[in-house]
Amino acid sequence: MTSRSSSLRRARPLLGTIVEVSVHGRPSSLAHALEAAFAAVAAVHRLMSFHDAASDVSRLNRDALHAPVRVDPRTWSVLAAARRVSAASSGLFDVTVAALLQRWGHLPARAGAPRPDSRANWQDIELAANGTVRFRRPLTIDLGGIAKGFAVDEAIGAARDAGAESVFVNAGGDMRVSGGRAERVHVRHPMRSGRWIDSGFLREAALASSSAGGVPPGPHVDPRRRCPAAAFDGVTVRARTCMIADALTKVMLAAPGLAPEVLGAFNAEAFAVSGDRVVACRPGVARAA
Amino acid sequence: MHRLSAWTLLPAAAIVTSAYATTYLTVEEAQGAIFPGAKLVPVPLTLTDAQVREIEKRADVSVRNREPRVWRVDGGGLFIVDEVLGKHEFITYAIGLNPDGTVRAIEVMDYRESYGYEIRHEAWRRQFVGKTAADPLKLDRDIKNISGATLSCRHIADGVKRVLATYDVALK
Repeated sequence: MTSRSSSLRRARPLLGTIVEVSVHGRPSSLAHALEAAFAAVAAVHRLMSFHDAASDVSRLNRDALHAPVRVDPRTWSVLAAARRVSAASSGLFDVTVAALLQRWGHLPARAGAPRPDSRANWQDIELAANGTVRFRRPLTIDLGGIAKGFAVDEAIGAARDAGAESVFVNAGGDMRVSGGRAERVHVRHPMRSGRWIDSGFLREAALASSSAGGVPPGPHVDPRRRCPAAAFDGVTVRARTCMIADALTKVMLAAPGLAPEVLGAFNAEAFAVSGDRVVACRPGVARAA
Repeated sequence: MHRLSAWTLLPAAAIVTSAYATTYLTVEEAQGAIFPGAKLVPVPLTLTDAQVREIEKRADVSVRNREPRVWRVDGGGLFIVDEVLGKHEFITYAIGLNPDGTVRAIEVMDYRESYGYEIRHEAWRRQFVGKTAADPLKLDRDIKNISGATLSCRHIADGVKRVLATYDVALK
């Protein structure tokens, strides 16, 4: 062996998906860095699972209406980031939509939970500087739209702290690369199985994708602008952190028209797929006119 | 109506057709990862009809392979290699059990994602033409990292249930 660097790549089932961690650096540090990364992901899962009755999310949904609930600093910081995305998107990103997801059968109902107020939204979550959280109205939160991205960020940080020179983490499509390495990424076409969109290289950045799911939105194309006139089939966001990339995919799917403002606010860019067309919005990149 | 003028068409965006496959660990590597330094001895096991029925009843998952690949770990514990098949994905994974039958660790060994479309597709098939068993078959040459609609690990979760039921019925 002439090289003093080596790498290790592993995948484990976590967060309801398959999480892949790849670490690069001094051979003696790699096994430890890899374990630290997976442990960080598992910790986020424990804190923010909607299904686990002992998670911070479940404790908040049960008790935060009645009294302030102290949560782990990680949960608090995810709620704070969610609030920033909600504010920047006029509430199009909102962690209080869990009640709707429950009604539509995407999330299980909770026996004995307070009946959510239909007027409640993200602004009714009170984040106190002392690390507690309180709900001003009966509501149910779900961090499914942001926690996976946060888990990726945590894994990256843990592996770097443990001595890895560069790290790549991919949690079922939400990914981030850190430490100078570049990773080639392909995005699964949301509607055409077996088709992939080459999205180039990722370096010191994060990428997350969401698809509209369900039936194809149909061939609604604005012929003048040569872009889709209906919702996109799927959206991919590139941002500095995976948490923000993850959250912004939801906003871009719900309201592509907000792209310049919202992406700009987070120094992010996005591309979207609609049929055979790929469109991009890069507010930070030169966009004259 | 959404305001979409900020989105511009990427005329050169490459949409490719391919399969995705990656190998994380060989059997020996997975053994070393889950039970470092331990001696593992293969356990020949053929499940009887009655055992298959009982496993399926307990796990509510069908048993396709009557000869699970099992190793006994010196000093206690079991190492099992299992395969799960989703609609488009094929996953081989290793599961380590503690001496008390609880899960010690799970490692994905091999992940393949493929679509019927590709199998029929001439260009996809052509890459295999002329290959012999001696040629390393590398499918991940082009597609290494994938994003997009999340594939759930439900199949692995089902597989783990089956492995745990197999332990209760035939390996305890």
